[in-house]
Amino acid sequence: MKLVTAIVKPHRVDEIKEALRDLGVNGLTMTDVEGFGRQRGHTEVYRGAEYQVDFVPKVKLEVLVPDGEVQGAVDAIVKAARTGKIGDGKLWVTEAEQVIRIRTGEMGPDAV
Amino acid sequence: MEAAPAEPIARLREELRVLERAYSPGHHGLWSARRRAELFDAALAESFEAADTPARVALAALGGYGRMQQLPCSDVDLVIVHDGRRPDDVAVLTERLLYPLWDEGFEVGHAVRTPEECERIAGERLDVLTSMLDLRLIAGDPSLAADAAARARAVATADVQAFARTMRDDAGERAQRFGVAAHRLEPDLKNGAGGLRDIETVRWITTAGGGALVRTTERESLDAAEEFLTRVRSALHLETGKRADRLPLELQPAVARAMGFADEPRLIAEDGLMRAVFEHARSVRWIAGNVLSRAAEEASMPSTPPAAFEGIDDALEALATVAEAGDRSGAALLDSVEVTPMPESFEWGDRTRDAFLRVVRSGSAGVAALDALDRLGLLAQLLPAWAGVRCRPQRDPYHRFTVDTHLTSALVEMHGLLTGVDDDEMVEWARSQHTDRDALLLGALLHDIGKTGEGSHVAAGTRIAAESLGRMRVLAPTRELAAFMVAEHLLLPDTATRRDLTDENLMLDVAARVGSPQRLAALTLLAIADATATGPAASTPWRMTLVRELVTRVRRVYDQGHMGAQLAQRLTTTIDRVRELLDAEPDAAVERFVLRMPRGYFLSIEPERIAGHYPTIAPDVASTEVRASTKPGTKTGTYELLVVAPDRPGLLSWIAGAVAVSGLTILSAQVFTTDDGVAVDLFEVEGVFDVDVGEARWREFRGVLRKAVDGRSSLDHRVAERRARYPAPHSDAPVTVAVDNEASDYSTVIEVGAPDRVGLLYDITSALAELTLDVHLAKVATYADRVIDAFYVRDSLGRKVTDAGQVAEIESTVRARLR
Repeated sequence: MKLVTAIVKPHRVDEIKEALRDLGVNGLTMTDVEGFGRQRGHTEVYRGAEYQVDFVPKVKLEVLVPDGEVQGAVDAIVKAARTGKIGDGKLWVTEAEQVIRIRTGEMGPDAV
Repeated sequence: MEAAPAEPIARLREELRVLERAYSPGHHGLWSARRRAELFDAALAESFEAADTPARVALAALGGYGRMQQLPCSDVDLVIVHDGRRPDDVAVLTERLLYPLWDEGFEVGHAVRTPEECERIAGERLDVLTSMLDLRLIAGDPSLAADAAARARAVATADVQAFARTMRDDAGERAQRFGVAAHRLEPDLKNGAGGLRDIETVRWITTAGGGALVRTTERESLDAAEEFLTRVRSALHLETGKRADRLPLELQPAVARAMGFADEPRLIAEDGLMRAVFEHARSVRWIAGNVLSRAAEEASMPSTPPAAFEGIDDALEALATVAEAGDRSGAALLDSVEVTPMPESFEWGDRTRDAFLRVVRSGSAGVAALDALDRLGLLAQLLPAWAGVRCRPQRDPYHRFTVDTHLTSALVEMHGLLTGVDDDEMVEWARSQHTDRDALLLGALLHDIGKTGEGSHVAAGTRIAAESLGRMRVLAPTRELAAFMVAEHLLLPDTATRRDLTDENLMLDVAARVGSPQRLAALTLLAIADATATGPAASTPWRMTLVRELVTRVRRVYDQGHMGAQLAQRLTTTIDRVRELLDAEPDAAVERFVLRMPRGYFLSIEPERIAGHYPTIAPDVASTEVRASTKPGTKTGTYELLVVAPDRPGLLSWIAGAVAVSGLTILSAQVFTTDDGVAVDLFEVEGVFDVDVGEARWREFRGVLRKAVDGRSSLDHRVAERRARYPAPHSDAPVTVAVDNEASDYSTVIEVGAPDRVGLLYDITSALAELTLDVHLAKVATYADRVIDAFYVRDSLGRKVTDAGQVAEIESTVRARLR
């Protein structure tokens, strides 16, 4: 099992959700996050008043997928999240050692 | 130790089960609670008698059990009163009584005290005092229990007014800690303001201070509320199998079903349940507040009956005066308002409106007056639309309160934003845009008035708000702005969190839809007030950062003059006309066209020409495709040339080069890029020598361009060749290159002025391509022998060029090409 984590622009979330649903991925966790990457923060200047956005609002998505379906999910997220502009985000895949459905105690792929 | 007398308690368990099954879970009210207490009494009395009890000991019930209100999973609160002489025997008795209860899994609260200890602790702790006010003998020595009860009561009656003040403080603390049961979407039925504890409080106060503190109608309302809330709380206990006081959203459907609520039009069963809970809790909260005020201030009801106001306007004015002073109306004033006659059908007059606006302008004191009007049933008479949102629950992850309370909270927040001294630049700006504060306050008060249980609340709210504002007879500009706020109150938060804020078209559309900085300011303040009133989940820094960014960007659009009321009007008119002209085309394709094309295109080209471009622009463009169409221009001998191709650095230079090589000269050019990255380049050209440009020339142009795009031929050499055939321009006109990063939020603007010459546009744009700059928008104009061009460029990542070194490089590279 793998955990796919992606940091994406907020307005891409619906598209990503759709794309994953089309792949048959049923579960997804999303969190409102703030941070910076190469994009850094930016400064909004307005008539001399300036405020610094140190952390840019993003959405963090976490999806558990069986090993064989990782590439499909990754491709779907990347495609749906891409606008081609700076700040499109990052995605990484990590090994999920154990996955358990709490209600039933099912483990591994059955638990997803 | 002897064997504990377990039988009575084990039997009690079974009897309680029978009682539980005797009624459906939604019908365990006060009668069932009393029956439950009787069962406990019988079992405990039997245990007590069997326990070899010493003399001068009493077993008594406290709190809810003492009042004969034992709910399914409530604690069993007991006190063993003794005279202090045989503590060891009392300890043994206590164990014999309690162990069987514990063994059977009952939650027991217990104390062992002498009457003197009861008095001392009652004097120290309010919760002990109040639980002892309900002390009731179960078994044993009646005189000891009576002594303990009398001593506790004496603590309360010693100074009734002080006791009332303590109770009032306690009620305030409970409201802080447990929230207000009268409008919290997940109310605490026991401890929340308006919950069962408030009913008990009234009872304790009247026990201490006399029954005259409560009117007959109030008593009746309290009795009805107590029965209802007891049933709900019992159902909650039975549903969860636990002592639970808070009714969470997820259990509301089950409790509603148990209590026999059914879906009705515009009110699902669980909303019906909650509406009833809120109605009862509101009247409890209201009556408890009044009773505590009377007890704290006067210790009895005023003897003279309240004097009615002459009419509702006088009553409103009296409430407004109190609210303006920042006070809450006292019981006497409210009594007078209550007996004021209200005509069957009420029409607002100028006095009504003025008094109502004074209330609305008074912040939280004004909302207290609105609450009072609501309790007295007058608010829904003044504003019939209010009936639709009163006590109405809302089921989403953000809201904490009923719709009506959310609206009055938003009014308070708006009032705070308008009167506060805020360091926040955006709030200060928004405040500075407005003199019509009434509109902002009314917009906040009405923004969710459409949440009446059917359809889109924004569409319904727009209609209802217009009707309500008309009824109020507020001035037309105020009415219009407030109605606009209701109609568009979701625009900023929805756009900010769901759309791409770097999309220039979107910003222009938002600016056009809003129409003016004043209206943007109104929506900004409403977005903040709404989010704050909704709850912490709606006003996270995450959401507010996005809203702030959107507002800043739209402000810039207005500030740079890229959109305003007139432009917005023109944009709408042009697009509507384009839709008309393209009536024969499929709707979806036309809408896609309208969405993709930059707003500047619609603002600078006439609708008829746009409709002419549609067939060239609308179909999808393949990645290597270059599409061109021509038609006669506005003047004789001029031609309009339209080129459509996927945008890439260099494209404009190839087109400009192909134009020059084909013996054409560019009079003006407008370059656009669609939302999805297609370049739409529009030129006005004429032949260099011959006025008539035939199809052969266009074919040549297409061929040259095709080769250049495919990278099969470089145009540098051929343009230079062409240039050699024509006289050089006279050289005293200066070459100017200026880079401006202020004019646009999305692009760096490069302005180039130069003497006209063959292939000039090619030279400039190929220099830009060399710098890997993408031309997003361009305007090229020829004035006699001089050309003024503006290029809106972005780097390969779609950003402005802000680095000083790069800016200098742009200037020098372009200059070098024009030398």
